[in-house]
This record gives sequence, structure tokens and C-alpha cells, in this order.
Amino acid sequence: MKKKVLKIIFVAVILLFLVIQLYPVVWLFMASLKSSAELGSQPFALPKALVFSNYAEIFKDGKILRYMWNSVKVTAGSIILIVALSSTTGYALAKFQFAVNKKIYAFFTFGIMIPVQITLIPLFCFYSKVGILNTTASLILPQVGFALPLSIMLFVSFYSFLPNEIIEAGIVDGCSPYRIFFSIVLPLAKNTVITISSMYTILIWNDFIFANTFISDNNAKTIAVGLKDYIGAFGNVDWGRTYAAIAVSIIPPILVYFCLNKYVTAGMTMGATKG
Amino acid sequence: MNGVLKDKKAFAVFLLPGLLFYLFSVFYPIVDSIRLSTMKWNGIGAPEFIGLGNYTKLFGDKVFYQAFLNNLIYLVIVVLMQLTIGFVFAVLLTYMKKGVSLVKTLYYVPCIITTVAVTQLFRNIYSTQPQGLLNGVLEAVGLGSLATSWLSNIKTALACVSVPEGWRYTGMYMVIFYAALISLDPEVCEAAKVDGANEWQTLIRIKIPMIKPILLLTLTMVMTGALRGFDIPYILTNGGPGNVTELLSTYMYKKAFGANKFGYGSAVAVFIIIESILVVAILQMLFRERDAQPEKRRSRR
Repeated sequence: MKKKVLKIIFVAVILLFLVIQLYPVVWLFMASLKSSAELGSQPFALPKALVFSNYAEIFKDGKILRYMWNSVKVTAGSIILIVALSSTTGYALAKFQFAVNKKIYAFFTFGIMIPVQITLIPLFCFYSKVGILNTTASLILPQVGFALPLSIMLFVSFYSFLPNEIIEAGIVDGCSPYRIFFSIVLPLAKNTVITISSMYTILIWNDFIFANTFISDNNAKTIAVGLKDYIGAFGNVDWGRTYAAIAVSIIPPILVYFCLNKYVTAGMTMGATKG
Repeated sequence: MNGVLKDKKAFAVFLLPGLLFYLFSVFYPIVDSIRLSTMKWNGIGAPEFIGLGNYTKLFGDKVFYQAFLNNLIYLVIVVLMQLTIGFVFAVLLTYMKKGVSLVKTLYYVPCIITTVAVTQLFRNIYSTQPQGLLNGVLEAVGLGSLATSWLSNIKTALACVSVPEGWRYTGMYMVIFYAALISLDPEVCEAAKVDGANEWQTLIRIKIPMIKPILLLTLTMVMTGALRGFDIPYILTNGGPGNVTELLSTYMYKKAFGANKFGYGSAVAVFIIIESILVVAILQMLFRERDAQPEKRRSRR
């Protein structure tokens, strides 16, 4: 009897926390399907009728598509560079026999505790001197730089599990270090590549601080910052449209997450446990 | 990290692109921030070297002290929420038999929501006009007298900007703790039970000491994360009302990009970095000292 009571309490606690974690997100999608009038009078009830006009309106004005496209460019460019740079640097650190490797690795891991805020002023000044504020490149540069420490750690830890015999076999067969990397090592690192890509897709898509600092031109805004335009832009009346815009903006990371959640969480926990 | 390849040229080809990129995008800004922090500069004319002038001004700046104190309170709230709630639910999940991965997946969802969405959700929860969720719930349970305009009340505003940050990453720390707990050797816990330890004793005496490295790491992550906290307070209240929700990062941002005091802003940025490094060093020292004790005991044996 006591056991049963405990079990019920247990399930109730788990469910309660689930509600706390999910309710705000569910509410957001519900709110985006309500008319503004209904949102004002009954913000927390279920929608009486599903109103899709909010979505139709934000897509008609086209701004959101431009913001999303900018986010796609920044995210894709960053991911390609992160994977290319960290897989190769990781290979150099894990599979080459040089005494300096330990020091360089420590230098990279040091980057994990550097707050991103430190770059804002120097990079802002540098960008305005060179004239690349408001460009995709201005966002990719710091995104990649700050992703490198953790990505390199993940690659090094994976490469360390690869037996050196595989590489020695490659050398015996006459492969160059380049060939060994591209035909043997990198294909085996597929999971690490997916982990890093999925995790950073979400983080970079959601980045606010860099985009808010380096982008002021409406044509170059990413969605994470562009969303601010919607809030209050309709005279605080049209909340329905605001929520529709927010809902659209969080759909891509949610899709990535639910398709690849094993990899996303693996990246975060591996980053934590391997440190 | 013990490789077999020895080709120096190939080593350079693989290493240098990443290293140079890192040097330029992370390391150069650190050095440049330190340089700028000794300048008086409005962003347009020629910077004027003033040595430690910005730092002496910083330590006489009342708002800076308030931002520092606010940041500590923010840190305490965020650490308590993320680590204690995350840990408790990780432990609970280890007792779950079915559906663990589904629950874990869903708990994690807030981490992947963009900041502007998170702040908007909380703005609605705190809102008074129309009545938000928080005031609505308070009224429903008969505590309507506690209802207030949460974000503009100077007593509640700081807590209100801290809670969303705590809420959003709790799931992540739960996932990390859970992974650490289930990777423990079950035989050790079995042995403890055979020796008569109950669940609680096993948790406190066996499991927690065994995941100490993870505790150190998560503590480091949360604390450095909280010291650089920015997004949510910036969007939700932008430091106000008055300066009650001003954090070091928002203050730096305001000084540099709002008031065009790039030198002074850099000094605040340098302070944040020193503070982060200090916290990491102190945490590592604390954990290392405690680790050293059992070793002594062992060697005595």
C-alpha cells in the first residue's frame, strides 16, 4: 500500500515538472492560433477556434522569410567551418606525435571559460574599420571561434578511441596523412560530426548577443534578433501575429532537436563529462 | 593524445587553420580588450591612453557595485535552480522504468527555444494587464494580495529576470547528471545495499562522491554561465527599473554601445573575464583539496 502511494506521488512529481517545462512552449503555439481579441480576454484557455490568419499575415509581409534566410546562411556557414576546422585540428592534436600537442590542447580548452562578451567591443571596432558590420561573415567569425574549443575536445576524445594500428596500417599501405584522414579517420567520425552539427545548429540559430551587436540593418537581421521587431511593433495589439512569428522561429531548432535529440544531448553531456 | 604520425608539414596543414582562426576570433579580442581598457575612447576620434584610469573609475562607480551584487544574486538563483532541481530530477529518473528517454527529451525542450521567445513567454506570465499566469494563479489560490507588477516592482524584478534563465537550462543539467548517474558501476551500489545502506545513504555516501568530477564541471559551467548572464535581463528589463536588474554584462553593453564609452566598457569586460577565471580556479582548488584527503588515507593503509 505504502509502495503504491509512493509510486503515485513519484509519477505526479515527474508529470508536474513536465508541465512546468513544456507548458510555456505549448501555450506559445496555442496563443499563435488565437485571434488577438481572444488572446486579450482569455490568454490561458484553449483556443475556441483555430485561427491561421496570424501565420498567413506574417508570411505575406515577407520579413520573416528574409530573417530566416539570414539565419540559415549564418548557421550553415558556421557549421561547415566548425566541422572542417575542428575535425582537422583535432586530428593534428590526437594523431600526430609532437610534444607541443598537450600545450596547444590546453590552450584550446582554456577558451571554454572565456565569456563571449569579451569579443563584442574589439570585434565591433574591427568590423566597422573593415566595413563588414551587417554581414553574414561578421557573425560566423565569433560563432566558429567560440565553438572550436568544445568541438576540438569532442573530436580529440573520439580520435583517442581510434586505435593507432588503423593509422599504422594506412602508413604501411602507403597512404599519406591526408589520405588517412579523408578515407579512414573522418568517415569513422561521422557520429561526432552529427553531434557537433546538430548541437551548434540549435545554439547558433538561437544566438542573440552577436547578432544584436553586429547587425543593425533590417536586411541582414537574423531571426533571433528580428523577432524583437514583432514584439510591440503592432502597437501591442496584435499579439497573435507576434506569437505566430515566435512559433515559426522556434520550429527549425525543434525539428533538429526531435530528429537528432540523441546527438544533441550527447554533445552537451559528452562536452561536460569529457572535460 | 599519443599519435603515431610524424610528418611535420601535414601536421601544420591540419593544425594551423583551426589554431589561427581561434587566435584571431577568441584570443585577439581578449588582448585587444585589455588594450582598450587602458584607453579613453568614444569610438570615433583617436583613443587616448589613460593607464588604469578606467579601473580606478570602475571601483568608484556605484552602479558597477550594484551590478556586481545583482550578478551574485542572479548567480545564486540560477545555480540553485539549475543544479538542485536538475539533480533531484536526474535522481528521480534513475528510478523510472519506462519512458525515461521520452521524459528526458521533453524536459530538455526549453534549452532549444530562442531567448526572445523565452522572454516573451515570461513577460506574459508576469504581466498584470492583461492578467498574467502568475497573478492569475496567486488569485486562484487565495493569495491575490501578493499579486504585483513583477517586472517593475524593485523588490521582485531581479528574481524575475533570474528565474527564466534558471528554468531554461535546468533540463540540460538534469540530462548531464542523469548520464553520470547511470554510468556508475551498479555493483558498487549493490555492495552498499548488501552492507545495509538505504537508498538515501547510497545516494549521499556513494553516488554523489563518485560523480564529483561532474559536479565540479557543472558547477563551473553554471557559475561562469551566470557571471556572463546577459540575454534575458537585457531583453526583459534592460537593467531597470533603476539599476535593480543591471548585471555586469548588461552594464558593459550599455556603456560601450549605448554611451559610446568603449574604453570603460572594455574595463568591465576585462573584469568579467578575470572573475570567470578566478571562479574556475577557486572551484578547482576546492575540489582538488577534498580529493587529496582520501588519497592520504589510502596511502596510510
